[in-house]
Amino acid sequence: MKVPMKWLKEYTPVSLTPEEYASRMIMTGTAVEEVAPVSGEIDNVVVGKLLSVEKHPDSDHLVICQVDVGGERPLQIVTGAPNVQAGDIVPVALNDSHLPGGVHIKTGKLRGVLSEGMLCSGPELEVPEGLYPHCGDKGILQFREEYAPGTDARDVLGIHDDVIDLEILANRPDLLSVWGVARESAAVLGVQCTIPEIQVEEKGEEAFPAKATVSVLDQELCPRYCARVIHNVKIGPSPMWMRERLHAAGVRPINNIVDITNYVMLETGHPMHAFDLSKVKEQAIVVRRAYPGEKLTTLDGKEYTLNDTMLVIADKQNATGLAGIMGGEESEITSDTADVLFECAAFDRASIRVTSRTLGIRTEASGRFERGVNPDTALDAVNRACQLVNELACGEVLPGVYDSRPEAPAKAPIVASVQRVASLTGVQIPGERMVEILSGLGFGCQLSGDTLTCVRPVWRQDLDGEADIAEEVLRLYGYDALPSTLMTGVTMPGGRSEAQQATDAARASLVARGFYETYSFSFVTPKWLANLPVPEDDKRRRWVSIRNPLGEDTSVMRTTLVPSMLQNVAFNLSRGTQELKLFECSTAFFRQGAGELAEEKPMLCIAMCGDKVDFYALRDAVYAVLERFGVKATISAGGDAYYHPGRKAIVTVRKEPVAQLGEIHPDYAAQFDIETRVYVAEIDMELLRAFRVAQPRVKPLPKYPAVTRDLALVVSEETGVGPLMDAIRKAAGHELERVELFDVYRGVQLGLGKKSAAFSLVFRAADRTMNEEDISKAMSKVLDVCKKQFDAQLRA
Amino acid sequence: MQEQLKGIRDRVIQELSQAKDTSALEQLRVRVLGKKGELTEILRGMGKLPAELRPQMGQMVNSVREKLEEAISARQAELKEAEKNAKLAREVIDVTLPGKDRQAGSAHPITLVLNDLLEIFSGLGFMSVEGPEIEYDRYNFELLSVPKNHPARDAQDTFYVDDNVVLRSQTSPVQARVMTTQKPPIRIVSPGRVFRADELDATHSPVFHQFEGLCIDENITMGDLKGTLDEFARRMFGEGIKTRFRPSYFPFTEPSAEVDLTCANCHGAGCRMCKGTGWIEVLGAGMVNPHVLEMCGIDPGKYQGFAFGMGLERLAIIKYGIPDIRYLYENDVRFLSQFR
Repeated sequence: MKVPMKWLKEYTPVSLTPEEYASRMIMTGTAVEEVAPVSGEIDNVVVGKLLSVEKHPDSDHLVICQVDVGGERPLQIVTGAPNVQAGDIVPVALNDSHLPGGVHIKTGKLRGVLSEGMLCSGPELEVPEGLYPHCGDKGILQFREEYAPGTDARDVLGIHDDVIDLEILANRPDLLSVWGVARESAAVLGVQCTIPEIQVEEKGEEAFPAKATVSVLDQELCPRYCARVIHNVKIGPSPMWMRERLHAAGVRPINNIVDITNYVMLETGHPMHAFDLSKVKEQAIVVRRAYPGEKLTTLDGKEYTLNDTMLVIADKQNATGLAGIMGGEESEITSDTADVLFECAAFDRASIRVTSRTLGIRTEASGRFERGVNPDTALDAVNRACQLVNELACGEVLPGVYDSRPEAPAKAPIVASVQRVASLTGVQIPGERMVEILSGLGFGCQLSGDTLTCVRPVWRQDLDGEADIAEEVLRLYGYDALPSTLMTGVTMPGGRSEAQQATDAARASLVARGFYETYSFSFVTPKWLANLPVPEDDKRRRWVSIRNPLGEDTSVMRTTLVPSMLQNVAFNLSRGTQELKLFECSTAFFRQGAGELAEEKPMLCIAMCGDKVDFYALRDAVYAVLERFGVKATISAGGDAYYHPGRKAIVTVRKEPVAQLGEIHPDYAAQFDIETRVYVAEIDMELLRAFRVAQPRVKPLPKYPAVTRDLALVVSEETGVGPLMDAIRKAAGHELERVELFDVYRGVQLGLGKKSAAFSLVFRAADRTMNEEDISKAMSKVLDVCKKQFDAQLRA
Repeated sequence: MQEQLKGIRDRVIQELSQAKDTSALEQLRVRVLGKKGELTEILRGMGKLPAELRPQMGQMVNSVREKLEEAISARQAELKEAEKNAKLAREVIDVTLPGKDRQAGSAHPITLVLNDLLEIFSGLGFMSVEGPEIEYDRYNFELLSVPKNHPARDAQDTFYVDDNVVLRSQTSPVQARVMTTQKPPIRIVSPGRVFRADELDATHSPVFHQFEGLCIDENITMGDLKGTLDEFARRMFGEGIKTRFRPSYFPFTEPSAEVDLTCANCHGAGCRMCKGTGWIEVLGAGMVNPHVLEMCGIDPGKYQGFAFGMGLERLAIIKYGIPDIRYLYENDVRFLSQFR
């Protein structure tokens, strides 16, 4: 909301500087975007009177002017404009003056002749057509009246003012008006606010129903409709003061009637509409819902198809305008309009919002109606417009008012407790002070003991309870008065959720191993998921689509973190980082039934690439995470098709697949323009958390010595060392403390397709020193089992 | 014989000082004191002496022997020490050589900020609660006093999955879920990922993270909100960082406040980061609207409380001086590796 300071000061005295005033408004809840002069950059431009105009000796088109600018001597100014002659009153940019667009005027020479400034045209000053007569014309702007030379040109042009741009909160539509801001400012500054009294001089015969009729057929969507008729209208420009204010507030002046509707809108916050009554068929205005499929051509020439949730303004047959959004072309005010009907109504904000969105039309009026226009003050606004017609003497206001809801429903006063306000805010504000603040805001207020009875001001629609009263009182008393205390009463155990603790554990493990954590968007391109080489009925093909995405690339929720991770890898590779260790903890989403929420699964994705890493480095990282959860994991070859067929594995815990890992298949990597080997793991954090084992109690340290035996077994190449070790562990019994692989050997003497795996087995008993017999027994059992299960031979 | 002994003693002591290392010393020892050593030879020759001279002579030999042994072991200690020092001197390495296995690694800055917050608010008795990222409109808006077609929805352009399901635009639905299922006292924080239909640019991201708090009990005041946030400001950004409350409007709270923190960059003096004001807008807060309590089944006559919400990205940007929000989602290791 742009409020010209001069206009505001007509109602509320503001003696502070604009900056100080802005700061007071900010601290009471009205944010200030900026305070800026209406004239923009213009400075040092004054009224000048041309004393003489002579030809430039060295130029065909330049002339030399002697200009009285109110100084001790006239200035000499050279200009190329053809329309100047002695006696003209014109705007003069003096030496060291500024014009819009960063133009800086200095004394200089034009073809050898001294020029001490510049005569200005309207466009050079960026004064809009309609603000000052003929200012859009070519050539130097000619002032129409005898202003004293030296007068600041901004005063003459009506642009010498500051405008404060206020950011109005959603609950305060009353502040979308100069009167509203004046009232609020008066309360904030503790001064008196004087809003003009509305009086209308009427002339002629009763307007309704003789001159016009109005029927409101839908009270729900149109809670109030007020109208008055003006007869013998004389269309012309509005007076300078009105044009100046409209321009300063950012509205283009058009003609007196249209300017009055805009002026009243800015003053009162009520969007108004003026109809040329003679062009309204049968002078009948009907407010109704549109018929399904009804067509309407709006002012801007576009045709829309309507439905019955939309409210229209119609004549007896056809819709002529969209209520509260845009008027119709037929009844527009023109230069020969003679009879005018002023409309000031309140429309249902949700309905306006839906209609405006559905049709894609947003106007000043629709914006205001969406935020809420107060039905209780609609009649005041229409009368104010009539009062201005009286003042501007541009027509006769006929007696009679159409008002669809003459009786305002009475609102119960808000009852608040002084003590409860204090206990909500923590600030002890005396009841008397509350009354003072609330009265300043326009409340009718009575204090009786602890009880405050507050009658809301008619312009405030946003207040309905004690909490509102607390807020009004506190914001004017000053939020700075809030004490800084901490909660008393019950103490509460705080802490991280179990899921957070799980993520923290995994993260700590990876960070310690040199991994960097990444954050990627949850929505991705559907291509990434559609191209995932997984079966048709795989869960990861059941993604959630966003109905209104920002673009195709961000239109579906990811069902796996792998593609985003590969994109991160590709991005870093392209930026020259070749060694990468990354991870992300985030959610995968899977579509469920229509109208249901998605299934959400917390996932951990790890990626590595570079010369120093291989499958086993990745596996170590995965196991490092698993170890934090104390789970017993089993690894076996296998996994999705986007992994290398020979380098992928599934990790299970209690037979459930907790993780899969492997080298990414070159075909899949190519989709991300990755040519190097990338190792990726995916861990289901939900499952892992479910299997988490609490830290076990400590085992006492051994008292007896350990005995170590080495064992080299020759097995076929396909035999996994992992299962072999599992078998050894099982066969050796509980006195095997640990088994370690120390060598894998392949050679001709072993035969083709064979390898030898050498293990070191450490035995220890808790209650004795183990003897040779114990060890031999265990070792021969191990050998037997390995022979049986893996056709293993003791290496010679 | 006496002369001979004296001669050996003096010569050996002379030679001792010339022994360059422990092995030369050992040779010398063997030559003099060994089984076939000079002194042993003398002892052996004693048999030829008259019996009355033997005890005296034996004593003399032993005394020389003791003296020599002492001298040898002293010299030995000296040489060992020198040899050890020489070895240490040879083993000098360049301690400034680059390492072989530096494991840097770090959590993401958003995580770092989240950890700080969880630490601060856990200490104040807030339990962290999470909720679904794809959420019912009812929890995301309606229970929070934002009905359909309410203009407050404009401020949060929301991604819809269908008419009643949205990508949550705030983490407040978690609070609504807690309020509809738990009895006060309630003291929770709800951190998490949220979504708004804003185009990605230097200051906006369609995906970001919020950290909201809710505290409801019989006598919670707005002063407690101020105290809690003062504590947060001080612990997050350091001593001397204060909060400033400005009146504002949120459908969820009444009274509501925008909360500014002392600019951490200039400590309130005014700089480019705070546009010369000395304050940085960081969060929104207020007392929970009684209508919201009522809708969630909590008696507003008995209970009251506060709520606040802030963006983790914004905190990270302020705390670490990150110039562009996109840095946080590009995952460039050259950026990520600047954190520890």
